[in-house]
Amino acid sequence: MKNLLNLRDKTIYFDKYLFISISLLSIMGLVFLYSASQANTVVVFKQSIFVLFGLLLMFFLSQPDPDFYKSNSLIFFAISIVLIVLTLLIGKEANGAKRWLDFGFFTLQSSEIIKITLPVFLAAYLYDKKLPISLLNTFITLIVILIIVNLVRIQPDLGTSLVILMSGIYILFLAGLSWKFIGFSSIAFILSLPFIWNNFLEPFQQQRTLTLLDPSADPYGTGWNITQSKIAIGSGGLQGKGYQMGSQAHLDFLPETETDFIFSVIAEEFGFIGVCLLLAVFIFILLRCLYLALNARDRFCRLTIGGLSLIFLSTVLINLSMVVGIIPVVGMPLPFVSKGGSSLLSFYIAFGIIISMASHKKLMQK
Amino acid sequence: MINLEERLSEKKSFFNRLIIVYIFFAGLFLYFLYKTFLLQISSYTDYEIASLENKTREVLVQPRRGIIYDRYGNILVNNVPSFNLIINPSSIENINDHLNQINQIIDLTEDEENYAKENFSRLAQLNRELVLKKNLSIDERSKFKVRKYKFPNTFIDERYSRENLYPFLFSHSLGYTGNPEESDLEEIFLNQNLKPKEIIFSYSNGYLIGKTGLEYTYDEYIRGRFGKKIFEVDASGKFLNELEVVDEVHGKDLFTSLDLESQKVAYEQLNRRRGAVVAVDINTGAIVTYLSSPSFSVNKIANGMTQKEFNFLINDDDKPFFDRAAQGRYSPASTIKPAIALFGIENNIIDWEFTLDDPGYFILPEDGRIYRGWKKGGHGNINLNDAIIESSNTFFFSLAYKSEIEDLTKHLSNFGFGEIVCLDCFLPDSGLLPNPSWKMNNLNFGWFKGDTVNLGVGQGYMSATPIQLAYYASFLANKGELNKFSFVQNIGNKEIKKNIFLNNNIDESDWLKLHESMIGVIENPKGTAGRLRALKDYTIAAKSGTVELVSTEKKEDYKIIREIEGQRDHAIIIAFGPMPNPKYAVSVVIENGESGGSVAGPVAIEVLNALLKR
Repeated sequence: MKNLLNLRDKTIYFDKYLFISISLLSIMGLVFLYSASQANTVVVFKQSIFVLFGLLLMFFLSQPDPDFYKSNSLIFFAISIVLIVLTLLIGKEANGAKRWLDFGFFTLQSSEIIKITLPVFLAAYLYDKKLPISLLNTFITLIVILIIVNLVRIQPDLGTSLVILMSGIYILFLAGLSWKFIGFSSIAFILSLPFIWNNFLEPFQQQRTLTLLDPSADPYGTGWNITQSKIAIGSGGLQGKGYQMGSQAHLDFLPETETDFIFSVIAEEFGFIGVCLLLAVFIFILLRCLYLALNARDRFCRLTIGGLSLIFLSTVLINLSMVVGIIPVVGMPLPFVSKGGSSLLSFYIAFGIIISMASHKKLMQK
Repeated sequence: MINLEERLSEKKSFFNRLIIVYIFFAGLFLYFLYKTFLLQISSYTDYEIASLENKTREVLVQPRRGIIYDRYGNILVNNVPSFNLIINPSSIENINDHLNQINQIIDLTEDEENYAKENFSRLAQLNRELVLKKNLSIDERSKFKVRKYKFPNTFIDERYSRENLYPFLFSHSLGYTGNPEESDLEEIFLNQNLKPKEIIFSYSNGYLIGKTGLEYTYDEYIRGRFGKKIFEVDASGKFLNELEVVDEVHGKDLFTSLDLESQKVAYEQLNRRRGAVVAVDINTGAIVTYLSSPSFSVNKIANGMTQKEFNFLINDDDKPFFDRAAQGRYSPASTIKPAIALFGIENNIIDWEFTLDDPGYFILPEDGRIYRGWKKGGHGNINLNDAIIESSNTFFFSLAYKSEIEDLTKHLSNFGFGEIVCLDCFLPDSGLLPNPSWKMNNLNFGWFKGDTVNLGVGQGYMSATPIQLAYYASFLANKGELNKFSFVQNIGNKEIKKNIFLNNNIDESDWLKLHESMIGVIENPKGTAGRLRALKDYTIAAKSGTVELVSTEKKEDYKIIREIEGQRDHAIIIAFGPMPNPKYAVSVVIENGESGGSVAGPVAIEVLNALLKR
């Protein structure tokens, strides 16, 4: 708590590159959302509130010293688990899934919170362990990860549970998971794929995967989304059809234009040039994160920055790969661009923590 | 806790591992970028089209078919709008139940019900509409309208039906229209750069194409071009707004050379007897009268008739569908004689002064076979002029006997025999102009001299269609030069080479003498068509003929065979006038009419009267 006193010292912890690029991305997101929502001002207004609140949240979360996160990571993690369990018990049900906790003014998708607290907790757990990570610690970590992943998976929410799985594995890997273990478990994973297919995937998830292999075989069924998304992106061409001129988006051929498929709208209206500009911003953020991770003050900060930035990177890539049909359709927003509450805020939180880790120098070094 | 050395190795390990992950994801990023490049740049055109097809729907707008006029601007065929009761057969399960329900609101005749039942399954298969009843009255329409909700697959729509104002007069010349076959539509769509998709097919319901006659020959000219409306649609297929309209191009009107009045006269004169009448303007080759009798109602055919009605027509012994004018093959009989006469003069076999003693028969020197004339005792000592007026067979048997068959057939082909003489007739026949090689190939017999002798009086193997006879008559009237025949002169390349009959041996005076002889056929007291004199107040050149279907030795024998109508002789006449400057030529054939002069002749005169009255 003493680190908050830094505010009184008028030291502001801040990373202008990340702050500017994320603000830029958020504003671009609002512009895209206006078109993707068929010029729905209510949607855009709500999103603006989230963006503003998110930026403020990010700023405040970057002020505490990393040690604050390290020492309190268990508390945050425990709260997240309680929220997840509460969701399963009294969550709001929609489309056959229980993913949300209703707070009246805000519905919280609890899995979005644990996506951040889990890697921070694991980083705090692993930062002082010897290299390579012992088998015991590896198993403890994996068990924790799998419990959380399964709690989310049974909501059901395959997309987020995969991201949570990845976030845990990233920390474990970056912390120095033994290569021997990686080799053995990879073989075991490949061998167990049929088992996973049969026991862990819902029929609609299997169908989505099959559709990916040949979307045209079923253009009006499960392949409809991918087909329409490809048409939208492809017909954008080099320069795009112009802002708010995308026929695929505006005549309802594209599904989920405000969330999962917002990239298709951007690609249709701004073309390949627009796509490259958007990607440039993402790549800038990611390279900045890479730089900050490599130059972090200690192992805990390194692990946290690396893990959180990889979650961001994975989310972006999953979304992009989904809309062009590289992977099956899993519900996954494009960070800072798609409409959303919890998922949007979770990334502001993540970057708040990243900036905190990057901007605080070790006191004893002074 | 870990020591400094370990801390350094940890930092290095972290470095390496993070870089590995970043490189891995950089690869994925590049792959994604490559995929997007493929979509947006390489396959742009495909997706551009896909996006356009997604958001647009084409609706066809049917063109109006051209109106057909006669030469004085009288409408012969028109498009009549009517409100029709239409069902969609492919979505109706039981047609009998459906008809019963409809019958409670709108009375269907027995014929209409039968038509619907007969065509139901075929149209259901093709996914085409079925017209239950045409020309609904306002009463019927409003009655149906209030009960429309009961019949989701039945609707009333305005359709144009093709209506021939004189359905029995122009059955064979103008022909009829009908629904296009799938393949016809595909071809039409491709011609007009329309994509033949099933969606588009459904908008072509009620579209008609020509099936026979001029409706067929000039179909492309009078059909016009489809228009289309392109609508923007959303994903649910809802029409949002009109993006583009390509106006339909209505079919052009067809101005024919047909003459309504003379056609009426021809129809009345033939009075459903089996036969044909063809009259032409000799200066242009324009067909003005064209009748094949008996005829049938083209409107019935075009607008749907029941199988029973159709069978009745098909099984009619008089064969109303058969176009006798362009396809009927008849021996030209004595009408051929003027052409044979010209051959004699052309080849110096005879001249106008040459005389011959006609005992009433000709004996073929080779085998002593006797060829008889029509008059017992013969015509005595006659010259060419008398031979034509009195129609002496002996004279022409003898002339043909002295002729080379190859030269003679070549000569006759100039008159249109064995040739297609009409440019826009529907499936015209070329008749038969026989020669030795034809006989060898088809009958496996050599050519006898007797065959040439028979040809001299237009009997034997030779046959000609009524339109060829009219062509022949026009050729004579125009002194050897003539346009090919046509119903429509102002479309296409009708710059027809004049069929110039070049021969040094035949000059103007020969033509005039020939015309005089043919005038004599009517005007001379001895002429074979003298009865026609009183029917007109101008001069006409003519030649009659009587086609013997059964050869007889004696007049008594013929009296026996004529008891059966089908064995009676055919009556033929060709005529042109007014002389000396003829304008029209006409040919009339009446099957089993017996006498060319007195049966076919009056028809020809009445038609010429009608034509010259204007």
